Amino acid sequence: MEPENEKYRRVLNILRNSKPELGSTYNIENEVFKRISKVKQPKINLSDLIDFLFGWVYIGWVRRSLITASILLVLVFVYQQSVILKRIDALGRQTVVNERANIPESADEIEKLLMVYRYSGRRFPSKTITISERQINELIKSINELQVKYKDLENLLKGDPELKELIEKKLIENNSTKTSL
Amino acid sequence: MIDIKLIEECKGGNFNNFRKLVGITSPIAFSVAFRMLGDEDEAKDVVQETMITIWLKLKKIKSTALFKTWMYRIVVNKCYDVLRRRKRNPEIIADDLTWKLISDRVYEEPSAELENKEAALVITLLTNKLSPKQKAVFVLSDLEEISNDEISEITGISKSAVKSNLYYARKNISEMAEKYL
Repeated sequence: MEPENEKYRRVLNILRNSKPELGSTYNIENEVFKRISKVKQPKINLSDLIDFLFGWVYIGWVRRSLITASILLVLVFVYQQSVILKRIDALGRQTVVNERANIPESADEIEKLLMVYRYSGRRFPSKTITISERQINELIKSINELQVKYKDLENLLKGDPELKELIEKKLIENNSTKTSL
Repeated sequence: MIDIKLIEECKGGNFNNFRKLVGITSPIAFSVAFRMLGDEDEAKDVVQETMITIWLKLKKIKSTALFKTWMYRIVVNKCYDVLRRRKRNPEIIADDLTWKLISDRVYEEPSAELENKEAALVITLLTNKLSPKQKAVFVLSDLEEISNDEISEITGISKSAVKSNLYYARKNISEMAEKYL
């Protein structure tokens, strides 16, 4: 395949014999290692990466805003905790009582239910509701007030039969049953 | 001969062994680069680039036995890059006096060895009209005496393409030699 050319063969022989001389490889080695180190360094530099990611915290106004925001968050947290603790305390002081699901409308009904309750020794068909101690106190207070007012009214009606008659008449109109005072 | 054990140790990231590998492989890489480029400085740059690429990609090489072929491929590709950049530069035209000097040197003594500068001039003038592929095939086959199979693997072209490129390269150089020497 090689061309039969004397000149070509001569040139080729000379070029083959003249192996290029690199000389010392020391410079190449040094240069290569210098460049390899440069390539490797940026990958290891952790502080640069941290600066890149969190460098913004060194900006003055960002720093101040963050401090303010963190203080506010702490205050909100403390306030919320105190509110929650108060509510837990209030709930702890509440009493659980049973109340009938359907509140009786008339006094006769109450009487009947009480009769059933006494004889059966059972509780009313009920659902559980939760009321606080304060509400019970208010209830007792209002019952007492009601009793005082009832006594006053009784005394008043004893001294005034006309008024008694009038009130009885009105009650009959409202309840459609006879009510004796 | 490149020690396979040395390559394996370099794959593990051993810096000192890589220095040894650079010392052994640099002259081989330089020979190819110099003959392809005809310029000592550019060839040295190619060697440096090649060594850095080897260091960075050595872990990816599957078979250590193919290291030399792989290294040649890197060198040839780097030379292609240089030749592509050079295309923009004006063509080198030698005057009669230069050809006379080369001719005298060639005919002085058949086994004469040329210095780097002289060899560079001869290669540059004779291979000036060749394409980068033809240059690579000619250098690898006729000057480095590598088999066509291996050249095919190094350059990534088929064996028939290697043969045809080699034929045209030889023909062209032969014509140049016939005409000027």
